[in-house]
Amino acid sequence: MELAMGIMLGLLGLGAGCAMIAGIGPGIGEGNAVAKACEAIGRQPECKSDVTSTMIMGCAIAETTGLYGLIVAILLIFVAPGIFTGILKDAVNAMK
Amino acid sequence: MSGLDPAVKKETLYAAAWVLLLSLLMQAVFLIAGKWDLSVLLGNLGGALIALGSYFALAVTVSRAVEKGKPEEAARRVRASAGLRLAGSALLCVLLVAVLKTNVYATVIPLLFPRIGLFFRPAVDRKRGVTPEEPEGSDLID
Repeated sequence: MELAMGIMLGLLGLGAGCAMIAGIGPGIGEGNAVAKACEAIGRQPECKSDVTSTMIMGCAIAETTGLYGLIVAILLIFVAPGIFTGILKDAVNAMK
Repeated sequence: MSGLDPAVKKETLYAAAWVLLLSLLMQAVFLIAGKWDLSVLLGNLGGALIALGSYFALAVTVSRAVEKGKPEEAARRVRASAGLRLAGSALLCVLLVAVLKTNVYATVIPLLFPRIGLFFRPAVDRKRGVTPEEPEGSDLID
């Protein structure tokens, strides 16, 4: 039982770590988008206010993917162990 | 706040209004479900502050990166900021839940509130009569 619990908690931690990988992509994408926005403002400086506003919104939306990963990781760390421990205990009791 | 780009102030205030509205809605849902306690309120407050702080940091970073006008440097700054913001949000959420024992759901759900506000942005702009300006010469593209 202890071994199974240990394996389960280890796998949950691994899953949480894997979920946080989702945070890498949005950062790269946001960087590329802002670089292009800089070029656009260099060509048309009068559009700076509009471009900045649009970039803030675009970056916030792009970052949502990373936040999903963060939320999944937090739920895996704090909520899932309780649920899976219950399932494991029920399974062990059923086998007895 | 006086040295900030007007776009940063406008966007942060818009996000703050949505966070406040949706936080009240979430508290009401917890109350109706009979699951409300102090940990829900604390979690909501913490999560909302983290979400708004992250959004404000994003707006300031993008505005400053765009102001500098150097694409490579801007990209580097925004990438670094995105990683730091996500790591900071994760750390603060874990601290809130593990140390202050706040409700997990009430802590993580507010992180999405500014994005839900952005989802309704086109409808809000349409209602207020704000239309995106056509760039000069865009009629010549076709």
